[in-house]
Amino acid sequence: MMEVANGDMDYLYDGSFEGFLTCVYYSYKCEKATGIFEESSYQHSIINNYKVIDTDSSLSDIVYDAIEKKISKEAMHIIFYAFLSCNENKDTNILKFIEFGFKKGKIAIDLYTHDSVFPVREMSTKVSKEEHRFLGLLRFSDIDGILYAKYNPDNNITALITEHFADRYKYEKFIIHDEKRKIASIYANNRWEIIDASIINIDELTEDEVMVHRLWKNYFTTLAIDERKNVNLQFQNVPARYRKNIVEFNNLQP
Amino acid sequence: MDENIFEKLKILADAAKYDVSCVSSGVERKNNKVGSIGNAAASGICHTWTADGRCISLLKILLTNDCIYDCTYCMNRVTNNIKRATFTPEEVAELTIQFYRRNYIEGLFLSSAVVVSPNHTMENIYRVLLLLRTKYMFGGYVHVKVIPGADPEVIKKTGFLADRMSVNIELPTKESLQLLAPQKKSEKLLLPMNQIKTETQINLEERKKYKNAKKFVPGGQSTQVIIGATNDSDSTILSLSQSLYDKLNMKRVFFSAYIPVISSPNLPAISTVPPLKREHRLYQADWLMRFYQFKSEELFTETEKNLDLEFDPKLTWALRNIERFPIEINKASYEDLLRIPGFGVLTVNRIIKERKGALLSYDSLRKMKTALNRAKYFITVNGKYYGGISVEPDYIRSAIRQKEVQEQLNLFQLL
Repeated sequence: MMEVANGDMDYLYDGSFEGFLTCVYYSYKCEKATGIFEESSYQHSIINNYKVIDTDSSLSDIVYDAIEKKISKEAMHIIFYAFLSCNENKDTNILKFIEFGFKKGKIAIDLYTHDSVFPVREMSTKVSKEEHRFLGLLRFSDIDGILYAKYNPDNNITALITEHFADRYKYEKFIIHDEKRKIASIYANNRWEIIDASIINIDELTEDEVMVHRLWKNYFTTLAIDERKNVNLQFQNVPARYRKNIVEFNNLQP
Repeated sequence: MDENIFEKLKILADAAKYDVSCVSSGVERKNNKVGSIGNAAASGICHTWTADGRCISLLKILLTNDCIYDCTYCMNRVTNNIKRATFTPEEVAELTIQFYRRNYIEGLFLSSAVVVSPNHTMENIYRVLLLLRTKYMFGGYVHVKVIPGADPEVIKKTGFLADRMSVNIELPTKESLQLLAPQKKSEKLLLPMNQIKTETQINLEERKKYKNAKKFVPGGQSTQVIIGATNDSDSTILSLSQSLYDKLNMKRVFFSAYIPVISSPNLPAISTVPPLKREHRLYQADWLMRFYQFKSEELFTETEKNLDLEFDPKLTWALRNIERFPIEINKASYEDLLRIPGFGVLTVNRIIKERKGALLSYDSLRKMKTALNRAKYFITVNGKYYGGISVEPDYIRSAIRQKEVQEQLNLFQLL
């Protein structure tokens, strides 16, 4: 059968930021990419051609520097946050934004509602909002002296929030476990890394730990003022999808 | 910790919950002491929201509810027959640390009923703070109440350990204070506020000279005014907050809708519904004063001394000053853009930036999620007016009203 060649070329990569930037490099140096996708979740079709790109950090560095120099550091920040989004078209959208930015320069990020800018800025804002939200909503339990937190964020924010807790709990050891992506960050002695979460085994909570949970739940319930009841507002601020991992909303977990 | 801590926490959290302030903002601090736990984020962090939709950021408790005063509006007044409890400093420190380690809270908000004397009470608060900061090495956020009448020296040393301090004004006029809290004198309330302002200025000078000088109340001071316990108008309340911002460098003035928990001939009947809508409007007006360059007197007229409950204060102001509209969004100054109903500070900043590169269209505003259902009556986009037939207050008012009724009907159909 003859291949349907319409000039489309998707680049596939391993899911890492370096891998993505390597695709951007090839899109400039070789054939222009129409889309960039993570290989593991790519929907193959007979219409599109694709190429699997091997991550090369010397090439991704070139693109990284070019973005900072030709657009701005702030643009790099926006791109990195958008990259952590759960939106399945994030990579292609970021590529479009980079192409636009290389043409327009520094002002690109300010053209907020332009079609090449808007999706990226929106994704970036969403990720940043969720990051901020979980600085507050993440709940740790003390398991044998190690602080353990499990959560299910929409976006891939574990590395972002780990920075915050690494300072806050500098002299503690902790694990932040993203249930959805099955990854975890593990921190001790000023160092942390992201690991595969399948190796984590969590013991039962001790009586003392259960008591602290109960104490907190009691406090939480006491603090609501009946005359001001506004459950809708509460749902806006603590969406139902997050609640199973937040101790004061979860009655099943002790 | 043992079981009786449950009872204490219940009583002393319950007694503290009517204080609305729970924010943890205004201080950026890294964890930079060996063995220390905690830091502070300038933006503040909310940790959870209770069933009334209010955010919990700090562990908000009283050290004790055993009070010598007899303020009419207060649950803890000496003549009220309620359960009394008192925390030890260790209990407060232990609770704070245990909650903080699990990321339940950003820190502590400690207040107290007055025991023995104001000075004695302030000393107790100081001791808790000292314990937390030194023995427990706590680097998180701490907000403490100042007890009016305490020795300035005690207030001062507490201020070097706290992030924020506050004295609650509670009632907006001397007369109201005289009526409901005769033991609290307005001069006495203002004294510690002035002291905090002065010490902060001295401290800023010190810190210019010595980089390592300790910070005095880096998060600034705040206060709270009760709404609806007396007949004071919104105009009185907002001009009070204006002068608190201007003269005392107050970081925040909080409003608390009065919830009738006590019956007294001097107070609203126990069946009175808390004026939540009014409280909301006051916060909107306060926001206009702090971020939109409004002055309190602009929000009222000779005859209107209260904020409109139907329309928000910015919209009300715009309808009263209709001759200033419509405003061309591709040309108007930052200050003028801020005055457009439905435009927030973020939108205005984006407009200013984007129009340097490209003219904005009506669709751009839609993308920015501007509240166009209100804004469209007050703007032109490249000369075109999208608000209908005329820029006329009565017409706009009824159009917005109709739109809102329609939206509510749609909502009912969805339910």
